[in-house]
Amino acid sequence: MKARCAHLFGRRILVVGTLGVALAISVAVWAAGKDKAAAKDKPATAEEITTVAKGDTVHIYVQTVPPRKAQVKWGAKNLGIIPTPRPLTIERPRDSGPLDLVIRASGYLPVHTRAYTFSDSRVAVKLTPPAEKNKLFGYKQEPAQNPDGGPPPAATAAPAPPSAPAMVAPQP
Amino acid sequence: MKSPPSVFVGSALVACLVADLGCHAGPPAPPSTAPAPTRTVASAASPSATTTRPTEAPNSRAPAPASSTPATDTAGKAFVVHEGRESWIDAAAANRSGYTVVDLSDDWTPFIFAEQKAADGTIQHNRYRRVFVGLANDTLDEDGEPLPAGEKNYLELYGIPPSLGILRGRFLADEAQNCHASISQEKLEEVETIAYVAPEKMRAEDLKTARLKRDLEEARHKAHATTFAELAQKDPSAAPKVKAYERRLAEKEAMTEVEKRLACEGMFKKGMRHATGVYDDAMRMAVRRFQQKNMIYEANYLRSKTMDALARPPLANDYAALMRVLRERVVDAAGVVEDGSVEGKTFTNKAGKAVPLRNLVEELTQSAAEQLGLGTQEGAVAFFKRHPAADFRRLSAAVKLPSLPDYYGPDMDISIVIDRGDVWYDLPWDDKGIRRPQPRKHYPSFHLYLKHNGQRILLARWRTTVGGWRAEQASDGYEYFRYKGSDVGSRVIRNIVAGPVWIAPESTPIRSLVKTKSVGSTWQRVVNYDELGPGYLSAYGLVAGYFVQPGRNGKADWDNGIRAHGSSDYLSIYSSEGFSHGCHRLPNHVAIRLYDFILRHRPMRALGDQGMGFARQFLAGDDVFEIRLPSRGFSYQLEPPIPVEVLEGDIKGTQKTPVMTYVPKPGVNYPGPPPPLRDSGEGHGGSTAKTESEP
Repeated sequence: MKARCAHLFGRRILVVGTLGVALAISVAVWAAGKDKAAAKDKPATAEEITTVAKGDTVHIYVQTVPPRKAQVKWGAKNLGIIPTPRPLTIERPRDSGPLDLVIRASGYLPVHTRAYTFSDSRVAVKLTPPAEKNKLFGYKQEPAQNPDGGPPPAATAAPAPPSAPAMVAPQP
Repeated sequence: MKSPPSVFVGSALVACLVADLGCHAGPPAPPSTAPAPTRTVASAASPSATTTRPTEAPNSRAPAPASSTPATDTAGKAFVVHEGRESWIDAAAANRSGYTVVDLSDDWTPFIFAEQKAADGTIQHNRYRRVFVGLANDTLDEDGEPLPAGEKNYLELYGIPPSLGILRGRFLADEAQNCHASISQEKLEEVETIAYVAPEKMRAEDLKTARLKRDLEEARHKAHATTFAELAQKDPSAAPKVKAYERRLAEKEAMTEVEKRLACEGMFKKGMRHATGVYDDAMRMAVRRFQQKNMIYEANYLRSKTMDALARPPLANDYAALMRVLRERVVDAAGVVEDGSVEGKTFTNKAGKAVPLRNLVEELTQSAAEQLGLGTQEGAVAFFKRHPAADFRRLSAAVKLPSLPDYYGPDMDISIVIDRGDVWYDLPWDDKGIRRPQPRKHYPSFHLYLKHNGQRILLARWRTTVGGWRAEQASDGYEYFRYKGSDVGSRVIRNIVAGPVWIAPESTPIRSLVKTKSVGSTWQRVVNYDELGPGYLSAYGLVAGYFVQPGRNGKADWDNGIRAHGSSDYLSIYSSEGFSHGCHRLPNHVAIRLYDFILRHRPMRALGDQGMGFARQFLAGDDVFEIRLPSRGFSYQLEPPIPVEVLEGDIKGTQKTPVMTYVPKPGVNYPGPPPPLRDSGEGHGGSTAKTESEP
C-alpha cells in the first residue's frame, strides 16, 4: 500500500512536473513570440534602415528589344552577355542603391539605363540602329547651310500677343 | 505534508521562467545618461503621477551606467530633465499629460517621410525615407549607395539636417581639436567680405596693389607722415587710396585665415589642388561645403554671412547647427509653422483681445532647448558627453512647450495666396542680344492664411519664385527661349507628394538630362536623376503640392503642371534674377515645414507610394539614354483640398501678355524657323499626367 501510494505520489509529481515544464515551455514560447512581436513593432534604428540585410537579394532580368546578344556593364565591371533568348540575370542585395548600366550590342547605339534594387524587376531595353537615331528624341537636325537663311532673332522676338488669357489653363 | 522536492523543482522552474519572462518583457533599459539617470519613473499605469510632475518622481540617484550600454530598447520612452537630471517616462503617457515628445533619434525624418498607416492598418513605406536617414547620418549618398568612409554629406542647406549622432561627433571633435587656436579671429573680423578676384586676374591685382602701395609711400614721404593713417589725415585726397590699400591688405590677411580655417575643418576636397591665396575651384568647393555645413544661403564667395561664420569658433557654429536641428525636430513634433516671417500682425483671440502673432518656431525651440539643458553651448557639450553615440539610435525627449494659440486644431481652414510681384513679359534682351534690365522691386511671395472665427490670419509669408524666360528644347533638337509663366487665378492643392519625381517633359534641354557620375571606379555618363528625383536636388525638391483646377461634372482635375515645391536652388528664390519655369519654389526645409503643417491640420489620406513603370529614351551625342522611374513618390490626398489663389501681380514693361511662341536664342544658327510650341502632354488628368512641366 505504502509502495502503491508512493508510486501514485510519484506519478502525481511526474504529472505535475510535466505540466509545469510544459507550462513553462508554453510561457517561454509565448514570451519569445511577444518579444519578437514587440521588436517588430519597434521603429527601426537609422542603422537598421540604411544597412542592407544580409542574404536579402533581388533579381534583375536584363534583355533587349529586339533580342540580341549584348554586353551589360556596370561602371568598369562586366556583368555579362545577355544569353538570348533568355535575359541576363543580375543578383544584388535588396535596397542597395540603383545600378547604372550600359548595354552594348553590335550594330546598335549603346544604351545607358538604370536598374533598381527595391524588388525583382525586368529591364527591357529598346535598341536603335545608328541609321534610325533620327527617330529618337533629342536628335538634332543639321543647321541651315547659309547662316543668314534663318530668321534673325529680332524678327521673331516678341510676336503679337495671343488673344486668349495668357498662360492661364483652359477650363476643364 | 511537506511538498516533495520535485514539486519545488517544477514550481521553481515555472517561477524562474516567468521571472525571466518578466525580465525580458519588462520596461526597457534607458540609454546611458551619465551623470544623472533616474529611470524609475516611467510607467503607463501612473502617467499623471509621473509625467506631469517629473520632479516628484522617485529620484533614486543611481550610479551612471557604463557609456557602452547599448541604447537599443528605449522605444516608447522619453527623457525629461529636471534640475539638470534626466529621468525616464513613458512617452505615450507623457503625451497624454501635456508633454510634447520630441524625437531626437538618428532615424528621425520629418512627418512627410515617416511611415504612414493605410486605412486597413498596413504600414506604407516611403522609398525615400531610407535615403533621407542615410544622408542625415553620413552613411548613404544621394542614390542610396554607401558613402565612402570619412565622407560627409553636409545637406542641411538642402533640407536634410544632420542627425544628432552626427552633431555629437562634430561637437566632440571640435572640442578636442586645437588647430583653430592658430587662426586669428581678429583678422577674420577685420573684413566684412573678401572681394572675389578670378585666378587669372590675381597677378594683375597684386601688381595693382603693389603700385598703390608705391604711390602711397611716395605721398607719405612727401607729406612727412609716419603712417598711411597719418597721411590720410594730413592729405584728405589720399584717404580713399589709403582706405582701398588697407582694405586689400586686410582682405589678403583674412584670406590666409580663411584658408587655415577651411583646412582645419577638413573642407578642402581630397584630390583638389589649391594655390595659396587664390580663389580657385578648390577654394570655391571648400567655401561651398562650409556654407552647406552651416546653412548659409549665399553664393559661393566670401560674403558677409560666410565671413561671419568663418570668424566664429567651430563650437559656436556647431551650437548654431544644433539649434537649427532641434528647431526642425520641435517644429515637427509640435506641428507649428509661424516662424516670424509675418511681423507686427495681430489676431483676436477667444477672449476678444487683439494679440500679436507669435513666432512659435523660435519660441518653442528656445523653450525645448532650455528644458533639455541645451540653452548654452556648454550645456550642449555636456549633453553630448553624457550621451554616447549609441543613445541616439533611439532617443526622445519630453518637454512642456508653451501652449499654442486658440486657433490651433485638427482641421484648420488653411489657404494659400501667391503674389507674383512685379512681372515682365518683354524679352529680356535687345536685337543685338544685349540684356535689358528688368528690375523688380516687389518680389513674388507665398502667403499662408488661416480663417478662424471670421478672421483671416496670415500665419507665414515667404519669398518664392514665378516663371520667366527659360531655355526649352524644341522638336528640331534646338534650344529656344520660351516664356514659362505662372498661372493666375484660383486653384487647389489636392495632392502632396513627399519625395516627388519630376518626369521631365520632352521640352527639357538634353544637356540638363545627362551628367557624369562615378560608378565603381570609373566615371560614366548617366541620366541626371538628381534633377528627376526623388531627392533634395530634384526639380521638385523634397516635397511638392500639386496645383489643379478641380474637375467638374465627373471630370478629372485640370493640372497645368504648376506646383509649390521645395528646391535646392535657393539662389533662384532669393536672387533678384531668379525665376522658375512657372512653379513656386521654397527652400526645402520651408516646404517641409509647410506641408508637414498642412498634413497635420487638415483631413488627409496617405495614398502611399505611387508606383509606375515610366521609361523614355533620348539621344545625347551618339549614345541612347533611358530614363527609368519606378515611382512618382509618396502621395497624400487632402480631403477637402486647400484653396490657392495666384494674384497676377504688377505687369511691367510694354508687353502686357506673355509671348506664346519659341524665340530663337541670340547667336544660334538654326535649321529654319522655330517649330510650333511642343505639347508635352502635361495639364491633363491631375497627378496622373504622363509628363510634367518644368518646375
